[in-house]
Amino acid sequence: MLDLAFMAEIAPKMAAALWMTARISLLAVVLSILVGALLTAARMLGGRWARYAVVVFVEFTRGAPPLVHISIVYFLLPQFGLLLSEFWTGVVALSMVGAGYTVEIFRGAIESIPEGQSDASRALGLSPLQGFFLVLLPQATRRSLPPLTNELANVVKASSLLSVISVNELTKVANDLIFVHFVVIEVLIQLTALYLLIIGVLMAVSRWLEARLA
Amino acid sequence: MDVAFLIEALPRLLPGLWLTVQLSLLGLGLAALIGLPLGVLRSETSSRPTTWLIDGYVFVVRGTPILVQVYAAYFLLPMIGLTLSPFWTGIVALVFNSAGYQIEIARAALQSLETGQREGARALGLTDDLVLRKVLLPQAWPRMLPALANEASNLVKASSVLSVIAVFELHKAANAVISQSYKFLEMLAAQAVLYVAFVVVLTQLAVWLERRAGLKTSVGLANR
Repeated sequence: MLDLAFMAEIAPKMAAALWMTARISLLAVVLSILVGALLTAARMLGGRWARYAVVVFVEFTRGAPPLVHISIVYFLLPQFGLLLSEFWTGVVALSMVGAGYTVEIFRGAIESIPEGQSDASRALGLSPLQGFFLVLLPQATRRSLPPLTNELANVVKASSLLSVISVNELTKVANDLIFVHFVVIEVLIQLTALYLLIIGVLMAVSRWLEARLA
Repeated sequence: MDVAFLIEALPRLLPGLWLTVQLSLLGLGLAALIGLPLGVLRSETSSRPTTWLIDGYVFVVRGTPILVQVYAAYFLLPMIGLTLSPFWTGIVALVFNSAGYQIEIARAALQSLETGQREGARALGLTDDLVLRKVLLPQAWPRMLPALANEASNLVKASSVLSVIAVFELHKAANAVISQSYKFLEMLAAQAVLYVAFVVVLTQLAVWLERRAGLKTSVGLANR
């Protein structure tokens, strides 16, 4: 049977790791939305080169595995003299991947907005930049909420990969516990339950937001 | 960028790339054999316990990271007396993961069909079995293709995670070269290019398949 006393014993460590996963994911989510919005603006308003650069960035982030992006940030930033802690390395890598997906989500949502909206904002004397950030993006935000939630759940799941650069998040701590105590099932059950909890909360918040914005 | 080193090291990455190709295609195929029929079952069944069971499985697969699923396969399979090689442990984890997503793909495609199709076929006197085989599935299949193409590229990327259980796929092979030579930039660029190239090939294949299936929409590069 399950060793409940052991599960209670490791709970504080798992809770600390959960907090780490939550913090990294939250930072990465906010950054990837901000960077994603800026890149979408560059993609839709910028010149030809800006457009190409964003397309290449998107294909690169979506075509290669997140584990490769994490290695790239981990190995390459120090080469340029940027020494970040494991925590921030993880945040940067996850934000980079997240931004690539977010660009496509925003672009899809903005292209689904009737053209009259952008014509009207121009007619009212708004600049293209103002029209983008004040008229199109707010409307697109509502439409992109469901796919965005999916993407945010992906960021949480991708944060598990940061265990390979020894960030003490949920998966890393659980794995260490397994190797220290040689107890497998109890740890895996707790680990799974905690991830399902985070993702469940995320989905609930998104549904609430969607209902409020609708 | 040390081009001479890149040319010299490239042959050492190719076995890794080949393993990545094997893992993702085998994983996709086996998961399709399990996931697609389960998705059809989920869409057609009226049995509550079956629905709960399948939904529970999908919830766990989609709510936990692939890395956790890989560790679970790695630790749990030997406990039930199944000692597999890293490759086959990896396949089990990938199939467990992908089948969950493919259930949703089949279910969503079937449920996106107009209800009139089902009613019309029933009205023509077809049995439930024939309705499914002759009317619903032929229409649902082209709608599954873009999502399955996405799933294929997700699996390519997920296979990189198997490096943690010592499967010598592309990422692991590149890491091995890095730890001997310290040529980060070259190896990171090489593996990124190989991954993107494989995903692009898969995407183009899917576009071609879709065109053959009579669909004109194009697919982009995947969701993870």
